[in-house]
Amino acid sequence: MNALTISTAISSGRVELVNVRQRSLFTARFRVLWVAGIFALVALVALLRIAWLGVVQPGPQQTSLADALLPPRGEIVDRNGVPLARAFPAYALWYDPNALGDGGSPLVKSPAEVARELVKIFPDMNETELRERLASRKAGYLRRRVLPEEANEVHAIGELALELPQETGRQYPQGSMAAHVLGFVAADGHGRVGMEAALDKRLLDPLQRGKPAMLSLDARVQGALEDELRRGMLSVDAKGAAGVVLDAYTGEVLALASLPEFDPNKIDARGEKNMFNRVTNQVYELGSTFKPLAFASAIDNGVITNLAHRYPAKPLHISGFTIHDDEDLGTSLNIPEALIHSSNIVTAQIADELGGKALQRTLAALGMDERPSIELPARGMPIWQKGDWSRLRTMTIAYGHGLAVTPLHLASAYAALVNGGIWRPATLLKVAPGHAAKGRRVFKASTSARMNQLLRMVAIYGTGRKADAPGFRVGGKTGSAEKPGNGGYRHHALISTFAAAFPMDHPRYVVVAMLDEPKGTVASSFQRTAAWNAAPIVGRLVPRIGPMLGVMPDDSRDIDISDLKPLIADDPVEKADEAKDRGETGSGDEAKAGGGR
Amino acid sequence: MIRASSLRKIGWAAMLLTCTALYLALHLKVNSVKSDVRLSERRIVALEKQNMLLETEFETRSNQRQLAAWNDVDFGYHAPRADQFLEGERQLAQFGTPREAGAPAPITVASAAMPEDQKSSFSALVPPLASRAVAAEIPKGEAPRPRRGDILSARLERRPAERVTIEGAHEGGK
Repeated sequence: MNALTISTAISSGRVELVNVRQRSLFTARFRVLWVAGIFALVALVALLRIAWLGVVQPGPQQTSLADALLPPRGEIVDRNGVPLARAFPAYALWYDPNALGDGGSPLVKSPAEVARELVKIFPDMNETELRERLASRKAGYLRRRVLPEEANEVHAIGELALELPQETGRQYPQGSMAAHVLGFVAADGHGRVGMEAALDKRLLDPLQRGKPAMLSLDARVQGALEDELRRGMLSVDAKGAAGVVLDAYTGEVLALASLPEFDPNKIDARGEKNMFNRVTNQVYELGSTFKPLAFASAIDNGVITNLAHRYPAKPLHISGFTIHDDEDLGTSLNIPEALIHSSNIVTAQIADELGGKALQRTLAALGMDERPSIELPARGMPIWQKGDWSRLRTMTIAYGHGLAVTPLHLASAYAALVNGGIWRPATLLKVAPGHAAKGRRVFKASTSARMNQLLRMVAIYGTGRKADAPGFRVGGKTGSAEKPGNGGYRHHALISTFAAAFPMDHPRYVVVAMLDEPKGTVASSFQRTAAWNAAPIVGRLVPRIGPMLGVMPDDSRDIDISDLKPLIADDPVEKADEAKDRGETGSGDEAKAGGGR
Repeated sequence: MIRASSLRKIGWAAMLLTCTALYLALHLKVNSVKSDVRLSERRIVALEKQNMLLETEFETRSNQRQLAAWNDVDFGYHAPRADQFLEGERQLAQFGTPREAGAPAPITVASAAMPEDQKSSFSALVPPLASRAVAAEIPKGEAPRPRRGDILSARLERRPAERVTIEGAHEGGK
């Protein structure tokens, strides 16, 4: 300030200089102040920002551990917790021709070279197709499933255009096993065909998908069933096969197989053709396996009071139609003999006495007039004639013709037949002990006990002998029905079925095995009937699954059939058996009379 | 000379400053622990995923079809027969053969009565599927604890009344 007043008072060159100096100094200081101010401001902002970050702002959006571990789609496990389907972070191989972004060649190496290297990693890919694909500059999937180690090898090729996006896939560790039960997940993220479709909502529900959905299946039983069915099917060159193992008391399905199968891990055109389920979706006339149901209905309704009563076994002529047996079974047969030799004629007579209404009532109570009761979406409608059944229809239905049902219908009916007479819906969800469906009574307990004896006798003396696994007390009935075709039945296309239960002294499991159009081969002694192809499947399967299901083989136990045995005393098979017994042990009769066979 | 009131003011201010600083330090510490937890969780998730990948791979490699093929072709296993099962001890005893005439008497070994909690030191036989012991004679509850003086000499010293002579064994052994 003083300098300024002096400069106005003294006007000389020197004073001017002083003024200039003062002004420059002032400007310099002013600028320094500005710079310092800006620095201070920046420092303040930085400090504020640090304070904000450390004190006020919450951490990065915290996701809970449970959320992070929640699978995008629930797991499906078997009754013992073995995973059958799970969400799986899989890699895919995507080709992006614009990855390099320079508009030039999409690949660094030549397409032929890259294709060759890819085929080295994935030997099932076609090199020529791949080369054309890489050269065509079209974006798209080269492969949907890539293993982590394969992904590393693809990275090593060093092509930016080969991208490996991580996708949530669905992995079925057991491969094609139980494919018809599980189904698959389509590209839209929703289930198809099996339980994937039936449980779709539950598997996607965030509240429930953390807990795996437990099925009633037993992976080991399922594996054994498929193994034996496949072997049986291939050995007789059949078109297809179906099988089901059912808990007779709870209706739980322990195994359900339809062959040929598909692989849910890889859905292709061939797999799509095999997707229909022969056990629940396809209806068949199941032939003589129906006879025990008709007999049980007759016993239950008081039509059969004496099992020793003999029925004539000559061909029956009913309204221009002749009912006959496959072979001549003599002049007359009693009830056990009729079942053991599977006589159509005697069954028809019994059904005639029983009447269409009573048979209809029994079969309807067994659920044969509606779709099978199971969770699967694909359930076949039986071919069931509404209204009153004619005399002839009643007779043919009693031996399994004129009514087409699914093999699952048959299994549920057999469960009711052997478990004391209670029909329960089949289920694919595990049932907690004591929580089985209430069901409905179809047969009296006494009828069921009688049928257990008769079914066991079929397996000991009759057509089911090849299913009689030693120690497992199997009982069951064969059925070989001609398939209906254009204008009548096709004599050379059979459906061979064996419906069984074990152990017959206290039946716990029902097994149904069915072959579609088996042929006579060396393995079946050139026979096409169920006794030669379906029954042996059950005979091999039961020893494999019995111990897993808690049924131990025991030669010292069996159902007591001593009261029925005398009724088939003149049976040639029985005579041969007795001769064998006598030769080996000296007194075969003695051992059997005590019921301890 | 500073007056007492202004000294008090400075004191309050210093205290406030210290508390704020301590609070800030604590807050930062809490945040750092939180972020540690987050990192651990991330690691757990990664490990779980890896675990699932490995588990799925094992399951896939040991699928039922593969096991059946191994059992059939490589090992030649068959389903067990009825005579391979035993129902109980009675059936097991049937395998014993009666002693032949003139055979030496079986050697009986002396045994001392053991206290209740020491009776069975074998682990219970657990069938692979039932996941719990089936035999009734196996004590349930905690495993037997080793006791002081478990060596033979100590036991003999402790209970002279329960000592068993082994003269009979010598005779039988001859």
